[in-house]
Amino acid sequence: MSNSGKIIAALALAGIAAAAQSTEAIPQMTVRAASRVLDQATWGPTPLSVTQLQRMGLENWLNWQFSLNTSDLPDQPLLDPATGKTNTNLRPVTAAFFANTVTEPDQLRQRVAFALSQIWVISHTSIGPAYAFPPYWRIFRDHAFGNYADIIKAVTLNPGMGAYLNMANNVKANPTKGTAANENYSRELMQLFTLGLTQLNPDGTPALDSNHNPVPTYDQTVVTNLARAFTGWTYPTAAGATAKNTNPQYFIGQMFAVESLHDTSAKPIFNGITIPPGQTAEQDLTSVIQALMAQPTMAPFISQQLIEHLVTSNPSPAYVQRVSKVFGDNGQRVAGDMKAVITAILTDPEARAGDDPNAAANPNIGHLREPVLFMPNLLRALNATLTDTSAIYNDTALMGQDLFNPPSVFSYFSPSYRTQGGLLGPEFQIYTTQTAAERADVINAALYGKLDKGTTIDLSFYETFNTSLETLLNTISITLLHDSMSTSLYQAAYNAASAQTSKLAQVQAALYVVLTSNEYQVIQ
Amino acid sequence: MYVPPKLSRRKLIRLGAATAGTLALRPFGVLPALAQSGPSYRALVCVFLFGGNDSNNTVIPMDSANYQAYTSIRGALALSGTDLTPTVQDVNGNPYAFHAKLTEVSSLFSSKALAVVANTGPLVAPVTRAQYQAQNSPLPSNLFSHADQQLAWQSSIAQGHSPTGWAGRVADYIASQNLNSSKFPSFFSVAGNSLIGTGASTQPVAISPGGSLQLAGFNSSAASQARLQSLESLLTLHTGASLAQAANGIMADSIADANALSAALAKGTALKTTFPTTSIGAQLKQIAQVIQVASDLGMTRQIFFASLGGFDTHTNELNTHNTLYAQLSPALAAFFEATQELGAANDVTTFTESDFSRTFQPTSGNGSDHAWGSHHLVMGGAVQGGQIFGKFPMFELGGPDDTDTRGRWIPTTSVDQYGATLSTWFGVPQSALATVFPNLANFSSSNLGFLG
Repeated sequence: MSNSGKIIAALALAGIAAAAQSTEAIPQMTVRAASRVLDQATWGPTPLSVTQLQRMGLENWLNWQFSLNTSDLPDQPLLDPATGKTNTNLRPVTAAFFANTVTEPDQLRQRVAFALSQIWVISHTSIGPAYAFPPYWRIFRDHAFGNYADIIKAVTLNPGMGAYLNMANNVKANPTKGTAANENYSRELMQLFTLGLTQLNPDGTPALDSNHNPVPTYDQTVVTNLARAFTGWTYPTAAGATAKNTNPQYFIGQMFAVESLHDTSAKPIFNGITIPPGQTAEQDLTSVIQALMAQPTMAPFISQQLIEHLVTSNPSPAYVQRVSKVFGDNGQRVAGDMKAVITAILTDPEARAGDDPNAAANPNIGHLREPVLFMPNLLRALNATLTDTSAIYNDTALMGQDLFNPPSVFSYFSPSYRTQGGLLGPEFQIYTTQTAAERADVINAALYGKLDKGTTIDLSFYETFNTSLETLLNTISITLLHDSMSTSLYQAAYNAASAQTSKLAQVQAALYVVLTSNEYQVIQ
Repeated sequence: MYVPPKLSRRKLIRLGAATAGTLALRPFGVLPALAQSGPSYRALVCVFLFGGNDSNNTVIPMDSANYQAYTSIRGALALSGTDLTPTVQDVNGNPYAFHAKLTEVSSLFSSKALAVVANTGPLVAPVTRAQYQAQNSPLPSNLFSHADQQLAWQSSIAQGHSPTGWAGRVADYIASQNLNSSKFPSFFSVAGNSLIGTGASTQPVAISPGGSLQLAGFNSSAASQARLQSLESLLTLHTGASLAQAANGIMADSIADANALSAALAKGTALKTTFPTTSIGAQLKQIAQVIQVASDLGMTRQIFFASLGGFDTHTNELNTHNTLYAQLSPALAAFFEATQELGAANDVTTFTESDFSRTFQPTSGNGSDHAWGSHHLVMGGAVQGGQIFGKFPMFELGGPDDTDTRGRWIPTTSVDQYGATLSTWFGVPQSALATVFPNLANFSSSNLGFLG
């Protein structure tokens, strides 16, 4: 395609966006560069957000995003007013989640919060009450740019997690009953939320012993001992109820400790650390968080996953090392500073390399859009309007990602899942012959039919730019492909569009071919 | 009625060509072809119980010594009275009882259509408690971790991370021998992606029960066909982006499999067997419907994958098992009945896998924690039913079968032996077993005998 065509379309887009801006400023980034950042850091670029970022520059834009905290998920009633039974209807929560992704300005916060919620997993599959979910989500929203240690503490004491991994009402061993402390939270806290199974080098590669074998981060004895540190906690006391040593499930507020049910003996854990005897449950928790934060393997373990969620499934070891260095020390001897970590991820030369159209292409950069990322991107690009009854969750569930219902604490997909070619491709775990077809069908519904009663899209923007197929495709290249559509995709979309008999049908056909293409589905 | 697969002339010609040596041989080399002498159709059906089924409460030895030990150690988790099915005897006269919600399973055991394979799990080689505690013999990687032990069960390679699953490697073998006359994948999942069906050269097809792979929104008009051609043309292009190419491969498979599957399923007739309206019921029904049209798909060997999740019973185990077993048992029974209806009961063998079993000692909150060896069910007309294969552990905390003091049983039968027994019946010759199960030689027997 011609450069002039691109430029015309770009200027036109910027012109539309500029009308919404009161100040004039010289763009500091190209459309391509800004769009790539916005595909990594938001729920999808829009003409307005591209223009904003172009004018602010990345650093100012990040600081602006760090300052925003606008999106919320609505609290839900404990009981279903119609039946008087437990309210398990999550629809208002999922509807608000998707509406926030499409319209709320705190885009980066939401993206990071969603990434964190895929590390620290609870699931509606076993937590029925809908009211448990908004408070749990707020932990990640409010700590997205805080400190990782505070996330550990907030989640550990959240009754939703207490219920999901059985830290709530985990009482010390009872010799009479022949029971032992519950190992569930102890194990997954280490395995999934903080350290991983084996020691990592700062660059994320496995640390090996002298026999070239991976070095386990902990063994079963540590799981059993750490489980004892997490004894004694129970659910918050429901409003109007009397506190008990082991309260029934209640999901508002934090769990509290019942010291008589806490195991106070010494607990040897990982890396030669022993939690001293005689401590309270709260003191044990403080000791555990300190011990976890002191493990150098946490930085690459968490950094790699955040990179996978935001930028690329296959970061180079050097990229992981640069980010994990910042995770370990933000420059002021503070570990776990999320603002610094997110900045390091998004400003890294490897993340930014593709901003330059003349840079050598990295064949392994990027990641497959997971359904919960794909739908907001589609909706934002197609000027969608969502209402309270929007049912986007149906579409993501069909595509293999049922929001707030991951099948297990291992989330919707594993950070270490590999494609048949051997590359890391976490999102491919839920990309099957079936869900690949579902993606195309969702795109078909969006363009040719109706997604659902509460969601409408508006193609008039593209119709306006369909003065010629070239202008249309250049516009689509900007809105969906960082102003970098390949010649082959351009040709395929052109062929499909030129066989149509109306201007609208041309727009629909061109968008269908681009949206179903893996050049779009894989964010590069 | 089930019609035994008939080979069309065209298919026979293809098979003839296959045996003439024009095969994709890697990684199996030249092996004796089974196509002409083997049975006309066989299927394996894996039902994976995600989360780690506490099989200590699936089936319980009811002789007084074992049952007393069971009751005393399991405490609040011990099943008794109406929590159990009536005691049944195995073919040797030993008494067992199943969880009460496994009534159909118990009946199938009594009617010799189902067997139990006891204390099975991932192993590199046989290991004793002393060896385990001294950590001086090869052990599976990351024991007691859900994800890792699921992969160990599915890959049957307990040490390290295998990029392929054992059924995927069986599918590679099937492909290398051209046992199926079509390109339709021999591994068919109704439960999403799973390592078990990933081969080195073969890829699974996955559909949702009752779902279709046919793309919506196309008709025969020129405008519509132009759009479809554009979509398809992009799938074969290599743009240089590795992950886009990986996604293209799966989408291309989807389109290729869609037509074959729709055309075949359209020839099926409604099954008379009633399946439960549960997830596992719907999955097994879908599998039965595909088996019905296997010959239309050109399949003589198929491996299916279904799953039931929710077995991670760290708390509230009794209630959870009541719910899950009440889904599993009637669905298995319906599936067996459907294979009988199709005249394929002897050609279809169903087996369970799971992450691991759970601690014999209960945990705080009336549950149990992650453990290792577990008891499994194999079902089908070819199964030597009503028997216990392998050996139950000694019910003693800190005893000879325990890794530590909580009753995490060290398996006495390996996944390799379990898989090799199934694969041998399926048609994988001895000469290919070592490729599919590289650790198999470490164990005394490669056939546990539950399939004759």
